[in-house]
Amino acid sequence: MNTVNNAPQIHSSSVPNVLSTLSQTFGKMNQYPFLKWAMLIIGLPVYVISFIIYLIKRKDDAYQRLWRELHQACTEAGLKEKLITKHIEQQRRKQTFFQQKIDELKMKQVAEKRAEDEFLQVVEDKVQEELAQRGEDQLTFASIMRSLLEHPVFVVLTFIPGLLFYTLLFLYMNPYIKYIFERLVSTLFVIVGVAFFVFTILYISPFDPAANILGVTATKEQIATFNQIYGLDQPYWVQLWQAIQGIFTFDLGASFAGNENVVDAIARKIPITLLLTFIALILAIVIAIPIGIISATRSNTFLDYTLMFVALIGLSIPNFWQGLIFILTFSIELQWLPATFTPGNLLSIIMPAVVLGTGLMASIARMTRSSTLEVIHEDYIITARAKGLNERRILWRHAFGNALIPIITVIGLMFGGMLGGAAVTEKVFNISGIGSYIVDKQFIPDIPAIMGGVVYIAITISLVNLLIDILYAFIDPRIRSKMKQY
Amino acid sequence: MSTHKDSLLKKFALKATSEYAQANFALVVSIALTLIFLLAGIDFSTGAIKPVFFSLFIAYAVFSIIQSFIAYQVKRDLKRDGVIRSSTRMWGYFQLLSVLVGNIFTTAFAFGLIKKKKSPQYLFTMFMLMTQFYVIAVSSLNLFKPYVANTFLMGMFLLLAIFVFQLVVLLLVIKDNGQLSKWKLSVGILLILTSLTGNLFALALGLFMLLEVFSKTPSTVAKWYAMWEKIASNMTAMLGLFFILFIFSLSICSYWTFDYGMAVDNNYGATLQMPSLAYPLGTDNFGRDVFSRIVFGARISLIVGVLSTFIPFVVGGILGAISGYYGKRTDNILMRLLDVLYAIPGILLAIVIIAAFGASTTTLVIALSVGSIPTYARTMRANVLMISNMEYVMSARALGASNLSIIFKQIVPNSMAPMIVKATLTIGGAVIATSSLSYLGLGIEPHIPEWGNILKVGSAYLESHSYLAIYPGIAIIALVLSFNFLGDGLRDALDPKLD
Repeated sequence: MNTVNNAPQIHSSSVPNVLSTLSQTFGKMNQYPFLKWAMLIIGLPVYVISFIIYLIKRKDDAYQRLWRELHQACTEAGLKEKLITKHIEQQRRKQTFFQQKIDELKMKQVAEKRAEDEFLQVVEDKVQEELAQRGEDQLTFASIMRSLLEHPVFVVLTFIPGLLFYTLLFLYMNPYIKYIFERLVSTLFVIVGVAFFVFTILYISPFDPAANILGVTATKEQIATFNQIYGLDQPYWVQLWQAIQGIFTFDLGASFAGNENVVDAIARKIPITLLLTFIALILAIVIAIPIGIISATRSNTFLDYTLMFVALIGLSIPNFWQGLIFILTFSIELQWLPATFTPGNLLSIIMPAVVLGTGLMASIARMTRSSTLEVIHEDYIITARAKGLNERRILWRHAFGNALIPIITVIGLMFGGMLGGAAVTEKVFNISGIGSYIVDKQFIPDIPAIMGGVVYIAITISLVNLLIDILYAFIDPRIRSKMKQY
Repeated sequence: MSTHKDSLLKKFALKATSEYAQANFALVVSIALTLIFLLAGIDFSTGAIKPVFFSLFIAYAVFSIIQSFIAYQVKRDLKRDGVIRSSTRMWGYFQLLSVLVGNIFTTAFAFGLIKKKKSPQYLFTMFMLMTQFYVIAVSSLNLFKPYVANTFLMGMFLLLAIFVFQLVVLLLVIKDNGQLSKWKLSVGILLILTSLTGNLFALALGLFMLLEVFSKTPSTVAKWYAMWEKIASNMTAMLGLFFILFIFSLSICSYWTFDYGMAVDNNYGATLQMPSLAYPLGTDNFGRDVFSRIVFGARISLIVGVLSTFIPFVVGGILGAISGYYGKRTDNILMRLLDVLYAIPGILLAIVIIAAFGASTTTLVIALSVGSIPTYARTMRANVLMISNMEYVMSARALGASNLSIIFKQIVPNSMAPMIVKATLTIGGAVIATSSLSYLGLGIEPHIPEWGNILKVGSAYLESHSYLAIYPGIAIIALVLSFNFLGDGLRDALDPKLD
């Protein structure tokens, strides 16, 4: 039925180019149920106007007229009776073949139904054929919309009421912008989802923060006042709405214990955690990628085995134990580095960064090895070698770039784990970052503080992954070509 | 012609013979351990010698020297003849003695060296014996304690009896020529019974014997045999499996051979004792025996690790299968919902759940499980997407199979391999997460002996009694490393690309 796709594109040169792309974009978007509904909702005024035009135009539509004519012609020609006889005959033959009992009445009913279906199909086919011959298009709502969108007058008239609708169409006109826009929307969805999930878990907790903070001696009135101050007496949906609103307006109120502004506290603590993670990340990348490449170029040698064995050990060491051993060795016995972190002392961040980066280092080294190994067995590397390029050039020019793509994915994925794992490292080295803040607050449980901490970390991770995805879209030609054909 | 073939054989003999690579591996690890014991055996500040570690150093050094000699012999044999001579193989019997000092690497190498044609049954039997031997050895350390558990004698006697039985099995397996023999049925059943001590090598061996007896189709036996052979020939994977099963068996046998009171009851007469025969790893600030605590902690680590892998395996697997099979809108909705879970780092999600429901073992298992559902779902979805386009699925659909039967009979069994590999690799992560959370005071209740809890106590005495923090950490690393080795080995064995 959908003739929008294969409709012949007739555009007079007078139609501005932008408008024809606009109309095409609409046609494409209209094929996706979700986008269809989204457009209907935000572009309701435009839809109402074009629906009225549709109703008017439908009256003298060629399709309807043809259909009626052909339907009548076929009925008069006795096509229906022929079909019924044909279907009865078919069924009789089938039943004799399978040696089933023949029930005349039922057989007739079935035959009539099938004949009716086939009859309508035949009529439809004939109409389509006729339409195609005449070069006319079947009038549907979508086709009306498309032709209206090519009219400059219509667009200008409906531009103000349908501003949102046109903005959406413009966003979808360019594949890159469309891709970025869609990723942004899904990130937004994830952030709201995380806030909802974390808040709900803390809400259904059997613990009572008021009783925990005020102590066992608190009277009922004291607890009621506490709950009123922090809005804990309000219904679930109100609290949830306030929490989600708070996340986006950076106002989560005061924490239960200590009565400090949660967002301020988080803003004070997040930089040190990010700095720590960043140093660990750089350290891991700088050390692990060369190791992985050396391992891959000398695969199955003694060096390769040793390096990968060390990497596997790195994956298996718990952060906190490694931290303790480092403190024991480098601070207590050798006294090279301070055991705890002091802001401003660059020496004191070395150990935490190494400890936090070890797991990532091991993962990156293993990933680099396997992806480089995979790439250097590709055909294009053999081609490069056949061209007479030297090994170094092959490795850096042809192999490394392609091997890098899965490595970046791993880095993006592990970054989240690192921000989470920072809680443990921060506790070992006594760093007052966001991780140890959440851990300290969870005993109460201090709902706004925990939620704020976790959600802002999740937002950071989502944004980093968003950035990596967008980077990919520009770097990786495979994704680029996939993006353009949607 | 034949001389050409011979020279080719010699040329590639070094690379083609697994013994050579294994000899080197065992040698390197052995030397590394020797050096570690040397460093631990000398107190550098005073120049004094610590007798225990120093004697361990000497013992390891001896076996490392022997190992290097064997490795040299193997290399020479392979270069000269292309095969290992039987006189070199005889050295394997001598190297078997390294089991006495606990060098499992050279011991495992010796197993392989002794026999020229190694069937997986033979290797499994050897590892079964080694597991049993070490369980008995570690349990018998309790003899030095002031008192032992009531069931200790009975337990030890049973373990020894099983050990003798397993020796008999070894003889039978060596003599086995692949023909169907009468003893296989009874021995197989007995082996399965002895695996109740946690020695799952015995279970695998027994099941395989029963399979040989009962299976009508030789191809089923051959299929299992091929997979076994792959895993058994991978020495690091077997060593990983060995250590996991050793810990598993030890934590089951500890019900009889260890005294729980030693691990949890305060004994203020013996606080913070240095390691001795009665307290092999010393005592903590409440006078509790750290050695017993570590043994009992293994239970928790294994249970939590396995459960918090199994639950997301099932839940994530089902969600992923549904999402991949039905596709379109179902897929979209499920995956977007799982994206939300995926955006929160595992440890933080666990902290949130524990903050809401309190620190306990059950909460911990649930908290760790929820966080890893999305990864399993994604893995399963990818597999299912690939497999549901295969011809055999189409043919099942054409034959009129229902959706459920297609999912459970065709798709799920064929997409299990990557899931199993992933599960093995993530158990290690779960063990680390458990102890990390316990260390933060958010995991297992502090009075229960668990590796993270022991470490937490130890971290307070880092300066004066560092061994309290070192030994439980080594236990964690060894277990996690074993799971990672096993996972890597399984991946190599199950990956069809490497065939």
